[in-house]
Amino acid sequence: MDFLFSYLTLVAIFIILSLSTNLLVGIVGIFSVSQAAIFGLGAYIVGYCLVNDVMSFLPALAVAALASLVLNVLITLPSLRVSGDYFVVTSFGIQLLATAAFTNLTEITGGASGMPGIPPAEFFGLSFDSGFKNFLLAAIAATIASLWFALLMRAPFGRLLRAIREDELAVAAFGKNVLFAKVRAAAIAGVMAGAAGGLYAVYLSFIDPTTFDLNASVLLLTMVVLGGARTLAGSIVGPLVLLALPQLLTFIDIPTTTAAAVRQGIYGLLLILFMVFRPQGLVGEKL
Amino acid sequence: MSATTYLTISGVNKRFGGLQALRDCSFSIGPGKIICLVGPNGAGKTTVFNAITGFLKADSGEVSFKEHRLTGKRPQAIVRLGVARTFQNLRLFTDLTALDNVVSALPDQFGEEPIGATFRPFRTSRAQKALRDRAAAILSDVELSARSDDFVRNLSYGEQKLLSIGRVLATGAELLLLDEPTSGLSGDALESVMALLRRLREQGRSQLVVEHNTRVVQQIADEVLFLHQGHVMAQGHPQTIIADPALAEIYFGGAL
Amino acid sequence: MLALNLLINGLVTGCALGVVAVSFQLAYSTTRIFHVAHAGIYTLAGYLAFSMVERGLPDPFAIIIAALICAALGALIQYALYATLERRRASHLSVLIASLGVLAVIQNVISAFYSPNIIPFTSAWRGQMMSLGLTEVQVATLIVCLAVFAAALLFARLTPLGKRIRAVASNPFLAEITRLRPQQTYIIVMAIASAMVAIPGALVAMDLGLQPYNGTTVLLTATIAVIAGGIGSLTGAFALAVLITVLQNLSLLAISGEWSVGITFFIFLIFMLFRPTGLFAQR
Repeated sequence: MDFLFSYLTLVAIFIILSLSTNLLVGIVGIFSVSQAAIFGLGAYIVGYCLVNDVMSFLPALAVAALASLVLNVLITLPSLRVSGDYFVVTSFGIQLLATAAFTNLTEITGGASGMPGIPPAEFFGLSFDSGFKNFLLAAIAATIASLWFALLMRAPFGRLLRAIREDELAVAAFGKNVLFAKVRAAAIAGVMAGAAGGLYAVYLSFIDPTTFDLNASVLLLTMVVLGGARTLAGSIVGPLVLLALPQLLTFIDIPTTTAAAVRQGIYGLLLILFMVFRPQGLVGEKL
Repeated sequence: MSATTYLTISGVNKRFGGLQALRDCSFSIGPGKIICLVGPNGAGKTTVFNAITGFLKADSGEVSFKEHRLTGKRPQAIVRLGVARTFQNLRLFTDLTALDNVVSALPDQFGEEPIGATFRPFRTSRAQKALRDRAAAILSDVELSARSDDFVRNLSYGEQKLLSIGRVLATGAELLLLDEPTSGLSGDALESVMALLRRLREQGRSQLVVEHNTRVVQQIADEVLFLHQGHVMAQGHPQTIIADPALAEIYFGGAL
Repeated sequence: MLALNLLINGLVTGCALGVVAVSFQLAYSTTRIFHVAHAGIYTLAGYLAFSMVERGLPDPFAIIIAALICAALGALIQYALYATLERRRASHLSVLIASLGVLAVIQNVISAFYSPNIIPFTSAWRGQMMSLGLTEVQVATLIVCLAVFAAALLFARLTPLGKRIRAVASNPFLAEITRLRPQQTYIIVMAIASAMVAIPGALVAMDLGLQPYNGTTVLLTATIAVIAGGIGSLTGAFALAVLITVLQNLSLLAISGEWSVGITFFIFLIFMLFRPTGLFAQR
């Protein structure tokens, strides 16, 4: 049973991350491989604050979300004014820089050996210290994130983003500020990813740089691509399927040294196959 | 302030590589009229629109509308100052219904930014209801009420052209730049568009219209601007311009 | 003398990166696809050369055969994947994602097949010092890469194929309707670019060893050189690649090596803010 909660907690956290990536990549249309960097930023901020007793969970989560918002806006801002391909370089650069920072700022992050001993989340007198309680916390957060996403997409904001995706120039021709809309979307994506990071830190109680590297960003993209872009359902199906994959792989006899590579290779293969044969993913819209 | 400072373009130049698209282009128009911009293909008519509305940065020259300087401003700012344009290839939002296309162009919508949309969902949906009513009124102005819930792909070409005018009306702009609003139309559809443009003029909307159809020009224009090789060669009453043999030579290579 | 050492090493690695940059430039300016999988081809070349040297093939032959295999792979990616996506009118984003998928597959197949860890490449050229404190392999890298660059320049300017490629690059739409057959040109270009990038891929591996995942950083630096040098300028790309590598090396005097990505990136941001069209832009 504990195993099931473990899987579902991760699914819930990755639903939030998936929504964030979906917003940035699926809806605004920015190619981002730096989502894991933002995820990691959130995780390290919350982890640091809790381990060093700087502040309690909820304020730390707020700080993490704010920092992630700012970083995401800073990353996307210059590239939104110049051609799309420049952002590919920026995104890769941010991701690689983040991994370097997580690995080398040993004083703050614990370096390559990671940050152990992150205490469980505590607020309103409750302590989320069991598998079930963490699942509950993550599930509530995922529900809030999903409702938020749905609300935004039904609002004029969502319609504006869709119109921008279809024809940016026409939208500008009707007096709307395209840049602001994209930046706002990036800000929201940042908040979600950072918050997911904070939840991850208290759930696992140990974080290290390898969780937030380029491979993780590829996994997030794969979730959006497989589940389907631009829909809430896609952001739920993606994590459900892809987080079950490692379990399915244990039925095949793969040596542990290559297990990670096999998983990553499968993600790459899924990206290719879906782009060629089913760009709308399982339950989404065409990317 | 004289009527001719309504929309003024002076000395605008634009070069694309080896092609001088606009060459010392200058003209002024007054308010409350329909002015047709005519000229042979490649004269630079759409380029003029792009330069006025900020889609292109001119190499030199000034554009002003009433007391505002438009030169160097971005399209969204220019729309807010009261000048909006349609596109030759329409560029309607194909995933949306006719009504939603008009709604999407209405300015200052509550809920178009995420904070309002998140924290005040009820005010957002009330505002949306009001906006949809306004859009419905605009659709009825362009006589598309019957098609308001149809998707763009299900509209006829003539209806799509009317919708694109409806959309630019939604921006609330005072001066409309219409890029070939009647091209590809004939018969009833053509008459509908012409009637619409006349109605808009009665309501006080000024229009600068790129037009190839001389019959349309004769029927709706208060004034004509003749553009050739990026330069305004003549400005005047439609009859005068159309009757001018030199201009006809340029336009057709022969008499009208 | 450390500075001088770093400078010279920087020039050597810079020339290798220069070829990566020029090969990427060639592919990008023609097909307009930001082919991130190029990093995978670069990495693969080293491993292919390694396998052949292990079987007793002399180094130069190993490099050449690796280049040929990479050429075929590059052409296959263009033909089977990119062309298919273009026929389906896939969005630019979809193609980028597919390319990323190819990169992930290549890197992880290498990792699973060989090892996720660094493999030293004991080629016959290693460890033989020559003047200026360079190993034989480094000298070879310097000469070969400069030669490849020169060849690329001549090819682009003088040969009919090179001119055709430049024509297609400058106006793909026109090329389509005047029967320059852009799709065919794309396949040829991808083959050439992949063969080109295999050369530094193999040479650098012979110098520094094999690693499945470091191609990404190399490509990142190379693309920054391409953008900073101006899209459309081969010389700009090569020159900037050398410059960036030298600066990265010299920065080791002040900061530790793990941050060298940061230096490159910082330079890129400066360009993005002040001169997005690069130094030698032709368009």
